[in-house]
Amino acid sequence: MEFDDGVDEHDTPAEVDAAFRTLRRVAITHVVLFLAALMGVPALSLTLGWWSDGRLAGGMSPGFAMAAFGLYAFFLVIGLAAASLSSAVEARMLGGRHVDDADGFPPEEDRP
Amino acid sequence: MRTGSLLLAATICGTWAVVYLVTQVVVSPPLGVGTTVVAGTAASVLLVLGYPSALRGPRAPLARWRRLRGRAVGSRPAGDHAEGRGVERSRRRIVAGHRMPLRSGLTADAARRTATLLRPLLGGDAVVITDRELNLAFVGPGSDHHEAGGRVRAAAVRSSIDKGRTVVTRRASAMGCDVPGCPLRSAVVVPLVVGERVVGTIGVFRTHDEPAPRDQVEDMASILSLHLELAEADRERKLAADARLDALRAQINPHFLFNILNTIASKSRTDPDEARQLLLRLSDFFRYAVRQEGQLAEFAQEYFFVRTYLSLEQARFGDRLRVRYDVDPQVLTAHVPVLTIQPLVENAVKHGLATKVQGGTVTLRARVDPLTRTTTIRVTDDGVGMAGDVLDRLGTPLVARAPDGSHGEAGARGGVGLQNISERLTTLFGERFTLDIQSTEGEGTVVEVRVPLR
Repeated sequence: MEFDDGVDEHDTPAEVDAAFRTLRRVAITHVVLFLAALMGVPALSLTLGWWSDGRLAGGMSPGFAMAAFGLYAFFLVIGLAAASLSSAVEARMLGGRHVDDADGFPPEEDRP
Repeated sequence: MRTGSLLLAATICGTWAVVYLVTQVVVSPPLGVGTTVVAGTAASVLLVLGYPSALRGPRAPLARWRRLRGRAVGSRPAGDHAEGRGVERSRRRIVAGHRMPLRSGLTADAARRTATLLRPLLGGDAVVITDRELNLAFVGPGSDHHEAGGRVRAAAVRSSIDKGRTVVTRRASAMGCDVPGCPLRSAVVVPLVVGERVVGTIGVFRTHDEPAPRDQVEDMASILSLHLELAEADRERKLAADARLDALRAQINPHFLFNILNTIASKSRTDPDEARQLLLRLSDFFRYAVRQEGQLAEFAQEYFFVRTYLSLEQARFGDRLRVRYDVDPQVLTAHVPVLTIQPLVENAVKHGLATKVQGGTVTLRARVDPLTRTTTIRVTDDGVGMAGDVLDRLGTPLVARAPDGSHGEAGARGGVGLQNISERLTTLFGERFTLDIQSTEGEGTVVEVRVPLR
């Protein structure tokens, strides 16, 4: 990140480590949700007869509809959520100056 | 996660097991899968919705209000007409004090709403609420010349303000209105008093010679005065909270500044780039401390303040000070009290690690529990810890003052900052927060703050 005087800002190792661990938590949650949805389809096929035998619009079974459309929609939603959350985490946990530079004081040259 | 999600997850799993046993194993023949799923889902929803309420405990104020409403409705005679219901509704609003407009102070808008609310209740044709100079609100006949925002015209009102007591007039001539054709003929005007000061009046006017019941108007004026006193108390409490925050800002230790400047001065020869970075961080630190307004800030901002402070201290202590942050993603956008975390971290560095030769680690852990809607912030150090008697003194409200007026040993160990934080949390959250301190001499200290999620 660039300061207005052109000096690079360096986050300390502890700050980078903290951001990494928080992002890792986001990623793990994402993977857990992904796997839960992925494993849920065959699990439901094995345990619920209705999941395979039932018929929805167009003669599709719920399992087929989920495999054909639902899973992709779910993956898209959790992917977008994880990506935006990760960006927000990085923006808030790394770098400096979360406030704008106008500090309410007059410019140096205007001061007596 | 003492009161957190694990317990709920376990309860939900147990509930599903019970539902499965009851619907699939115990009964013969087993119920359909749909029935099992619906029953389990309904039980889970009830648990998830009811769990935070169960943790919060009974809602006493709401329960009281409901009992009050039950009595009011029950005591109403059958066949009450619409006006009676309106009066009852107004009276209920006044009893449930938080709905009283004047609770926010004697302003024109609050006065107008109050006058509208009270007019059917006090049995007058017109109601006026004034401050010492102006009509803040006037509702009823005569509002064409006794207009809101205009100067007080009725002599009865002026007399009540001057004398500080109730004035009753029964004739139009005694009203003292200088506008010919004014329909108001009788009045009861009662001063509104805050402490010893008359801050305004409430007047009830009628268009005939029989004035409104004096006792009723005086009782109502007493209630309004009480609301105004409470409003003033609120203002003073807010000022006190701001003063405490300013005191904490002013408490930024000058020694910290001297030490950092010395560190920067020494590094300016050996490592000019790092010295420059430190100066920028120092600038950020003071900018945040001075500019932060309001009582709450996003956790991410407080986190920025804390890591700025710790990076400066790390430059001074070197490898002796190690830092570990453990921050939940959800907590970054939660709002926490301003300047609460940094003093805790400063205490951990100054009193926990500074005197320990081999140094140690400060850990900041922040979590949100969405079910209990609480934010938990824990600052841990593995420094020298505190003796039991010091810890006991920190837990007492009198920690701040020694007989000579100083803050004593506990104050020297951060008691003043903790006392300040505790008072500000009390102002902000009442009793809905916890500030726990655990310490073992030679092993370290844990300070945990738990506040409602905002």
